[in-house]
Amino acid sequence: MQNSQATVLAAENVKMTFNTDTSEEVTAISNIGFELKQGEILGIVGPSGCGKTTLFNIIAGLQAPTAGTILVNGNRVQDASGHVGYMLQKDLLLPWRSVIDNVILGLQVRGIAAKESKTIAQNLINAYGLKGFEQAYPSALSGGMRQRVAFMRTLAFSPDVILLDEPFSALDSQTRLLLQADVMRIIRERNCSVVLVTHDVGEAITMCDRIVVITSRPGRVKSVHTIGIDPALRHPLKIRKQARFNELYEMIWDELGIQFAA
Amino acid sequence: MSIPETGATAVSATSTPKARRRGFSVFGVRVLAYQIILFVGFLALWEYAIRAQWLPVYLYGQPSGIWRELVKGVQSGALVHDTWITAQETIIGFIIGSVTGSIAGLGLWLSPTTAAILRPLMVALNGLPKIALAPLIVVWFGVGMESKVAIAAIITFIVAMLTSFAGSQEVDSDYIRMMKSLGASRLQTFRMVVVPGTVPWIASAFRLNIGFAMIGAVVGEYISAEAGLGHHVYYSGTLYNLNAVWGGIFALMILALILDAMVGWVERRMKWR
Repeated sequence: MQNSQATVLAAENVKMTFNTDTSEEVTAISNIGFELKQGEILGIVGPSGCGKTTLFNIIAGLQAPTAGTILVNGNRVQDASGHVGYMLQKDLLLPWRSVIDNVILGLQVRGIAAKESKTIAQNLINAYGLKGFEQAYPSALSGGMRQRVAFMRTLAFSPDVILLDEPFSALDSQTRLLLQADVMRIIRERNCSVVLVTHDVGEAITMCDRIVVITSRPGRVKSVHTIGIDPALRHPLKIRKQARFNELYEMIWDELGIQFAA
Repeated sequence: MSIPETGATAVSATSTPKARRRGFSVFGVRVLAYQIILFVGFLALWEYAIRAQWLPVYLYGQPSGIWRELVKGVQSGALVHDTWITAQETIIGFIIGSVTGSIAGLGLWLSPTTAAILRPLMVALNGLPKIALAPLIVVWFGVGMESKVAIAAIITFIVAMLTSFAGSQEVDSDYIRMMKSLGASRLQTFRMVVVPGTVPWIASAFRLNIGFAMIGAVVGEYISAEAGLGHHVYYSGTLYNLNAVWGGIFALMILALILDAMVGWVERRMKWR
């Protein structure tokens, strides 16, 4: 079914080498290639130091790769232009802005009129459980709520691709499960195309349609897994009862384990 | 010179809302009673020491004499006039220096090349006791109010520039990356992240600067002036009129408290933390 949909993001033979002019040349990633379809959630799992952050920066246009290309909707990414929405472990809310003013940040950068931006933000806030907190400042919110606001800021300007970089790893385990479920639901509802980077294999299986396993430095694509679990059964608490979940979990851990031993 | 600063800090520490709510507790009343007893006792001891001729009045002054000087100064208007002159010099110099300095410091964020070129100068200025520049400025700007305003402005400019530049460099680089990923221009990042992120630093610089501006104005008046509290204190000192010196210092203290309270009010409204 997904194959019939348009490719939103494509990485082709992406390579990144640091310190090319010295003897301490380090290749962070090499020959990275994958495709992300419209409405798909793609997981990227790898050991620490596999160059995930580098890959993210390249996709977002913050760094130019040494070789290879990133295509967003068929156009080559030259620099950061707001095609990608970014959400990190750190919520990066601006503490001097209220919730609603944080949500409209991306729209403001694009020069969209204040009134229109506020309407978009208010609709998101109402729909996703922060009604009544529009005028609150981030310091008054819990960690989970702050990440919710950060997620809404990412949704508000409708980027082509949403990059989630360990977005739940700073949260306590209850909040994490709740937010995983909510974020997953919202992504499906809005048919967003998402790349999720995580260390948490369970989280990746729960949330993603496909998982790309990356090797340790230099990061290369080791394998790609299609999850193939009915989305209705994908709730973080329910999915763990699926035989397929356990099968994938062990398989991916084995693949990561080989890398750890190497 | 740091007396106005520390005195002001103590006042603002006790005037926080929390302290005010405890204002009538037994503890608070006891503390206040001891403070009054100590202060009045000190003045009484001082007065007695002069009258009993333990201490020479021409070296120390005496409380009753200081009081007479204050009353005379207020009635004749001379002390009020001197206070007003110093207040104007301080306030005008403070505003010119703090505002232009903050803008300059922030502006350096926009031009890292300029900042890199100016770095040695900034390091040197940071270490320099800025009041050492005062004689130069008096030479350039003359004996009138302009030179005191200039001293206050130049000192506060340096402090505001160094502080706001340091603040702009402390803005979390992840915010800047995020703005870039949103496609923000450098100017948008500046306006939406760097400037508001630096405001608490600028507010702190303002609080420091009102003290520095007053030091600048008073030292300028010491060097060469025809009016102002610094002139009054210095001139009275050369005449060994210690009562008048104390009267001038008292007026400076009151002025410092008022100015610090005003800037403190502004500062609290500038901080988002």
